[in-house]
Amino acid sequence: MTTSPSVVVIGAGSTGAATAHDLALRGFLVTVVERGEIASGTSGRNHCLLHSGGRYAVTDQESARECIAELRTLEAIMPDLLERNGGLFVALNEEDLAFKEKFLAACEVCGIPARELPLDRVRKMEPFLNPDVLAAVEVPDGVFEPFHFCLAFLATAKTNGAEVRTYNEVLELRTEGGAVTGLKVRDHRTGVTSMIGADLVVNAAGPWVGEIAAMAGLSVPVTPTPGVMVTMDVRLNNLVINRLNRPADGDIVVPQRATSIIGTTSWVVEDPDLISVPPDHVSRMLACGQQLIPAVAKVKVRATVAVARPLVTKTGGDTRNVSRTFECFDHAAEGVEGLVTIAGGKTTSSRAMAERVADVVCAKLDKQVPCRTRETALVSYRNYYR
Amino acid sequence: MSAAAEGFAEARLEILRQGPRQTPHFETFTVSVPAEAKVLDALDAVWAERDHGLLFRRACHHSSCGACAMRINGRERLPCITPYREAASERTPVRLEPLRNMPVVADLVVDVSGFFERMSASDLVITRVAESTLPLSVDPLPAGFEPRQIVAPDDIPELTRFETCIECGICVSVCPSMAADDGFLGPAALAGIHRTREATPDRVEAEHLLDLADSEDGIWRCHSSFECTAACPQSVDPAGRIMSLRGQAIRRRWKRLWGM
Repeated sequence: MTTSPSVVVIGAGSTGAATAHDLALRGFLVTVVERGEIASGTSGRNHCLLHSGGRYAVTDQESARECIAELRTLEAIMPDLLERNGGLFVALNEEDLAFKEKFLAACEVCGIPARELPLDRVRKMEPFLNPDVLAAVEVPDGVFEPFHFCLAFLATAKTNGAEVRTYNEVLELRTEGGAVTGLKVRDHRTGVTSMIGADLVVNAAGPWVGEIAAMAGLSVPVTPTPGVMVTMDVRLNNLVINRLNRPADGDIVVPQRATSIIGTTSWVVEDPDLISVPPDHVSRMLACGQQLIPAVAKVKVRATVAVARPLVTKTGGDTRNVSRTFECFDHAAEGVEGLVTIAGGKTTSSRAMAERVADVVCAKLDKQVPCRTRETALVSYRNYYR
Repeated sequence: MSAAAEGFAEARLEILRQGPRQTPHFETFTVSVPAEAKVLDALDAVWAERDHGLLFRRACHHSSCGACAMRINGRERLPCITPYREAASERTPVRLEPLRNMPVVADLVVDVSGFFERMSASDLVITRVAESTLPLSVDPLPAGFEPRQIVAPDDIPELTRFETCIECGICVSVCPSMAADDGFLGPAALAGIHRTREATPDRVEAEHLLDLADSEDGIWRCHSSFECTAACPQSVDPAGRIMSLRGQAIRRRWKRLWGM
């Protein structure tokens, strides 16, 4: 009897969770190590937007196509964890209006169903939307709750034999003869430090992938790029409301349960561990939110959040123009075997990210098993804690 | 300590440390946080700047995941939406302890497996058809807000909406019946049963759920203290729902008695 190859996944955000699920389904012995609770880093604090791809249709078509494909897959594998009410892209001025034809054409090219709705109907659907709206295009945006999203992937991974070690922080990568062969972790519950051996380590630490890679003397071109989100005390929209224009600060209001979340801004930080919310970003979000939904002015703020996106930087320049798609780095190219980094992307695309990195793992460990995550329904997130 | 940077304030937290590695004791930390910081922001700062060994649960930071629930100055709350300033005005340093009525893992982390098992029994699905009015609010609506009926156009399906219950466990922590009897289904799961019975078109399932609520570990264990309803950060009103289930169970017994 041969034992299955063992893979350690670092990080239990959406990427790590989906990767653990994919690898467990393909028969690997999977251990996930995460220094905090599930989704305690970037994933937990994301905007809750299930992207149709509309936001990227004009500026980043690779991401847009990826989003609509993944949205359809998520609808099939986690139907109970999604609010599928759709989204509106609304024009509030002449410049927005001029963007409309370009937007509709780009959505068509990317395969994103988009149709302009009559304004009287839009006003009925969204009674708090700015009444001066000039045009509105409907796309299949949705809403998820990121913590439960990650739990569902991990609950399913556990069903297929994966082990998830939360509150286990990676201290160092063990290298032997130029290859990563395991890692040393501290279990913060007990204070005990131990070594976990692995045939391969997947670095899925989000904006912290650089810190992990540095433990093997490597670097990855990922820039922690925070955004601010402002959660209002009242839910004011049924659908996701987007500004019909190029991506910009404060261009979206995502509903979540009995709240509406305005986002976002974008800047660059060195250390993603602790990001304070700049007060001027909050006032800017409120101003932008009021343009889309004037009633934002009447409502209290419930919470403000800043969290770093892990953007893959291929070239320099404005972080708004960096592609929101993902990259898989096999560090064998830099002379270090046994370590693969998966970075970038977004929660909506995490299943596709997992498929890509699991394909690389299969090739490297010479275990050719096809991906089955597209058609495998996830078990209840509540099973994670069993 | 040097003068705080502009817009920043000093936060003092007194945190219960416990677990396999240490006997329970309080440890006090002082960190600098933005003036508008929530208690969870201060806890994040302690973790980032002082001690990665501090265990607490966190994810969304805006009251939709339910992970961070704990006791703040002895009272169950969500630290992600509790302003540090408000908590510090009650007591300084602000005292943080884990939820009650669940086994402690370490520090502020409790084992929620039993809680989720009971939630599973309730069959509550987090996505359901929306009650079709806006605005939606957890608390009473601000002045000047009239609910407005949504007229769903014929060619779009009904709107869906996530449940208001975020499964944070606060109601279980405050429940005196839970403290006395760990077999009790508890307020969250019973509220979940009530919600599921409202939503399901399946009469067999609805009857099965009422059997469960009407069982030995169900609605009759509740001491009607209404602590859960008072503490719920999402205004789910578990106690009201338990009382409603009692009414449904009694009506069913009468009907059966009369052979209806």
